[in-house]
Amino acid sequence: MLCIFSATVPRFFQIEIFANIVEHSTFVGVMAIGLAIIIIAGNMDLSVESVAALAAMITGILFASHGVGLGIAFTPEWLVLPVSLLIALTVGGVIGAFNGFLVVVMQMNAFIVTLASYIWVRGLVVAVSGGRSAQDLPPPLRFIGIETFLAIPLIAWIAITCFVVFSFVMSKTPFGRHVTMIGGNPVATYRAGINVGRITVTTFVIAGIVSGLAGWMLAIRTSGATANLGTGMLFQAFAAVVIGGVSLKGGVGRLPGVYAGVLLLSSIQTAINLMGLPAHYTQVILGLLVLAAMLLDALKISVRRRLA
Amino acid sequence: MNNNSPLLSLKNISKNFGAICALEDVSFDIFRGEVVALLGDNGAGKSTLVKIIAGGMAATHGQIFFEGRQVNFNSPAEAKSTGIETVYQDLSLCTNVDVVANFFMGRELVKRVCGIPVLNEREMYSVVEQALQSAGTAIPSLRTNVEHLSGGQRQAIELNRFVHWGGKLVLLDEPFAALGVEQTRRGLAMIRRIAAQGIGIVVITHIMSQAFQVADRMVVMRQGKIAGMVRCTDTSPDEVVRLITGDAV
Ligand SMILES: Nc1ncnc2c1ncn2[C@@H]1O[C@H](COP(=O)(O)OP(=O)(O)O)[C@@H](O)[C@H]1O
Ligand SMILES: [Mg+2]
Repeated sequence: MLCIFSATVPRFFQIEIFANIVEHSTFVGVMAIGLAIIIIAGNMDLSVESVAALAAMITGILFASHGVGLGIAFTPEWLVLPVSLLIALTVGGVIGAFNGFLVVVMQMNAFIVTLASYIWVRGLVVAVSGGRSAQDLPPPLRFIGIETFLAIPLIAWIAITCFVVFSFVMSKTPFGRHVTMIGGNPVATYRAGINVGRITVTTFVIAGIVSGLAGWMLAIRTSGATANLGTGMLFQAFAAVVIGGVSLKGGVGRLPGVYAGVLLLSSIQTAINLMGLPAHYTQVILGLLVLAAMLLDALKISVRRRLA
Repeated sequence: MNNNSPLLSLKNISKNFGAICALEDVSFDIFRGEVVALLGDNGAGKSTLVKIIAGGMAATHGQIFFEGRQVNFNSPAEAKSTGIETVYQDLSLCTNVDVVANFFMGRELVKRVCGIPVLNEREMYSVVEQALQSAGTAIPSLRTNVEHLSGGQRQAIELNRFVHWGGKLVLLDEPFAALGVEQTRRGLAMIRRIAAQGIGIVVITHIMSQAFQVADRMVVMRQGKIAGMVRCTDTSPDEVVRLITGDAV
């Protein structure tokens, strides 16, 4: 796909554009990791986007110096970096744990629980900010948002690192193996003595934490936060997960595939921009792409059935 | 521990599903090295009883004693750690992962890399290869997902899994339903071999000849109650059928 674009779209094959694609895919990509893990475990998390927005807004409110920002500062100044990151991850982790608690302990439907979180967490973002925005984060945070390493932005490196780490966890550790098996047959894993409840809660906490990370990066990239920050990213993350080969039935999918899905999405968006098509078409194309991915999946299954 | 005391004792086990009384006052013992066949019509309560012993379901009334101590399993994991292995009627495999992953489900071998547990795939592969080979089960590739295997192959994986892990008591719920003639013969021989190691075995089956071939004792259930307990050597297929159906002759 990338090759086709490189060959056909003028000015596509440029290192800055690749860097742009990778950067563009950072936020959706990190969110998609959490979403993918949850879906592989046979569950659903619609709250990732709102959780990211809340983490971004809290980072903005605490550390930005204008708008609703309180401008909390540290000496030495760089301390703001770990402190803000820790707060963002904690916010995400707490909401993830709350979702997980309702799904596992209260036996509530994950779709409904996280749909509710999608709504109330976004509502909280608007409420705590009063609908206004926070601007101007301190220099150490801006540095992360602007600097590049090997032509790729630092935040994109963070996303890549996340993909590498979680790909490893999912394919090489007992935890990842258990998550996959729970998605395949929760009864069998329970009978085999695997602590299904604990692992399910952990997947929700992970999704919350990585969404918090995505929100933190969103805040430092835009040097602040607005009440509608990240709106629509849930659907992009979903598209990426599905295009990346994760089955909504659970138990099937790999994170490298999801990252490929994310990159594909953002290269298509970039290509559309470069070709000068009106941006409105982007959504139409994304939607068709999701359908195409599902169609491919269905084809794959029926071919396999015929061979078997 | 005295060898003549029962390995497992069920005392007055009852189980209600709402108004349905699936089990009523079921009591019997199983000894080490003994094969007990559990017989009964569909709906007699055999699977329910197995689930209760295996920790997957709580009894409404009654007590379970294992090795003389009263036990109260809250999950299959607890029963398993006590030494009770179970092969369920509806198979317990994850069809979305490969044979090796299923074999080691919940007991994965790991090596520590910088303190992080990492799956030891090579070691697990060779253990499974050996276990299946010695059982005479042919599966083309241990790396294929179980969804691509036949019902017989799946059942073979489950059977070999419990043989490998051992334990003190094994519960088999219709273990041969999907197996061919030769695989069933091997399975029955395997049950005798395991029992000879001093492991207690409960095997549920529909097929009378299998029960006579493999069991020392038969426990017949009818409508949630024990209809009779007989030694295989002291009974005839006709008598057992009468116990199962409840027909007086
Ligand atoms: N989870 C359940 N909920 C309600 N009724 C059940 C449940 N499991 C089993 N039963 C009922 O309990 C009875 C015994 O079932 P079961 O133990 O599966 O019988 P068997 O294995 O001997 O064929 C049946 O009447 C069945 O319908
Ligand atoms: Mg049954």
